[in-house]
Amino acid sequence: MSDDVLRAPLVLEYPFTRTTGPVIGGFLTGLREAMMLGAKRSDGTVMCPPLEYDPLTAEPITELIEIGQAGEVTTWSWAGDPRPQQPFEQPFAWAMVKLDGADTPMLHGVLVDDADAMSTGMRVQIQWREERTGHIADIAGFVPETGDAG
Amino acid sequence: MGSTGSKERAAVIGVGQTKYSSTRGDVSMAGLVREAAYRALEMAGRSWDDIDAVVIGKAPDFFEGVMMPEIYLAEALGCVGKPILRVHTAGSVGGSTALVATSLVQAGIHGTVLTLGFEKQSESNAMWALSLPSPFTTSINAGAGGYFSPIIRRYMEVTQAPELIGAMVALKDRQHALRNPYAHVQDPDLTFDKVVESPMLWDPIRFSETCPSSDGACALVLTNEAGGDAHDGPVAWVHGTAMRSEANNYGGRNVVSPQASEDCAADVFAQAGITNPRKEIDAVEMYVPFSWYEPMWLESLGFAEKGEGWKMVESGATHMDGGDLPVNCSGGVLSSNPIGASGMIRFAEAALQVMGEAGEHQVDGARRSFGHAYGGGAQYYAMWVVGADKP
Repeated sequence: MSDDVLRAPLVLEYPFTRTTGPVIGGFLTGLREAMMLGAKRSDGTVMCPPLEYDPLTAEPITELIEIGQAGEVTTWSWAGDPRPQQPFEQPFAWAMVKLDGADTPMLHGVLVDDADAMSTGMRVQIQWREERTGHIADIAGFVPETGDAG
Repeated sequence: MGSTGSKERAAVIGVGQTKYSSTRGDVSMAGLVREAAYRALEMAGRSWDDIDAVVIGKAPDFFEGVMMPEIYLAEALGCVGKPILRVHTAGSVGGSTALVATSLVQAGIHGTVLTLGFEKQSESNAMWALSLPSPFTTSINAGAGGYFSPIIRRYMEVTQAPELIGAMVALKDRQHALRNPYAHVQDPDLTFDKVVESPMLWDPIRFSETCPSSDGACALVLTNEAGGDAHDGPVAWVHGTAMRSEANNYGGRNVVSPQASEDCAADVFAQAGITNPRKEIDAVEMYVPFSWYEPMWLESLGFAEKGEGWKMVESGATHMDGGDLPVNCSGGVLSSNPIGASGMIRFAEAALQVMGEAGEHQVDGARRSFGHAYGGGAQYYAMWVVGADKP
């Protein structure tokens, strides 16, 4: 009997729209211009990537400031055998990177050949894509700091 | 059913709304909810620090593709270090959300609670979400109008209501909307003939008898008795609250006046000590997304005898100008419909009436008002009675 119970696929798809608002929209527009923007908080610290409202005080974020394009790896995890859905085809490290001028780290990928090249505290810099659209993937990834701009 | 026994009294001290419109392209959802929440706090004279908990509601997840708004919106609503809860009950969610927030105050769990409903219909397609396919059944792809139109036809047949009662409701609500600066549809040139001549979408529902698609948010600040007593400003006291549900997919139910609707109304009026709702309620904010639901709900809720609801509409009894039971002075759902907020807007507008804060659409001297929401296939009900005096 149980073999006869009917089953059928159900696919639900709809192209929703998202509106970014001035803060997130400002950050993404910065990426398109190969510029990193952080959100200045009332206590003077800087969040990157920004949130629209201060997560500790609930105050609105009203000021975006330009910060550095290089920074420090605060923690990382090696992805030695990337799966098809992951953002990089070659082995990479998921890493939290605290950019110079920011007080909070952001998640992205560090592109190095093997895990031996990774360490907490290492300096990395942004590698930009040539064609940028205002998307977090405008950052192709982070690479060990050379001193040359991305 | 229902009880007022040992509950803490609850009061509305703040109402915040955004200007309802088809597209709020200037703000994210976080920015939209923040605007309403901030206005409610401002009216209440409270800050984020005074809020003990936040209760939010939105339309079903597929309506705008935000699956967990309670995660995304926590910092926008100042929830850090506080509980945030989300309520789901389809179109009635704004009402149910306000009532869950009220119950936290009535239970003595929290002293002051912020509650909020929102929707950005511009980022989605409710018609699609209301017509989701399901294996082994044929989707009629009719949305809400297609679902409700045969029910309306049934009402018309049973009560022998004239064909154009719905058009009268639509014109009245759109006239009321002209007095509410927050209302979405503002058409000073609308006439009865234009309503009647508008395209028939789902017989007997015409285009002008249908709610719009809106972006918007609505928020309330609720507080306990001590907070209400100490408040230096207008207060709407909660006199009764009720919610009911019933099975959606049961063909044997009374779809014109569902049992859950009648039971919910009887409960809320009993709690408020109301025996003659038409006489004792001064202003009604009723969930009417399609014009014909006004006479249908008037009967189901006990404002009119069975078969008499359409006669109230025809006589002008529900019009702000000269009617003895003004219904939807804000313009109602027919004039603004950010679905996840629409129920809360009814509750908020009912509160504004007894606070004396409804501006151009104020019913003079309103002392007790009624807020109503329904959702699903007329499956969920949420209602409250609020008053200017402490119960």
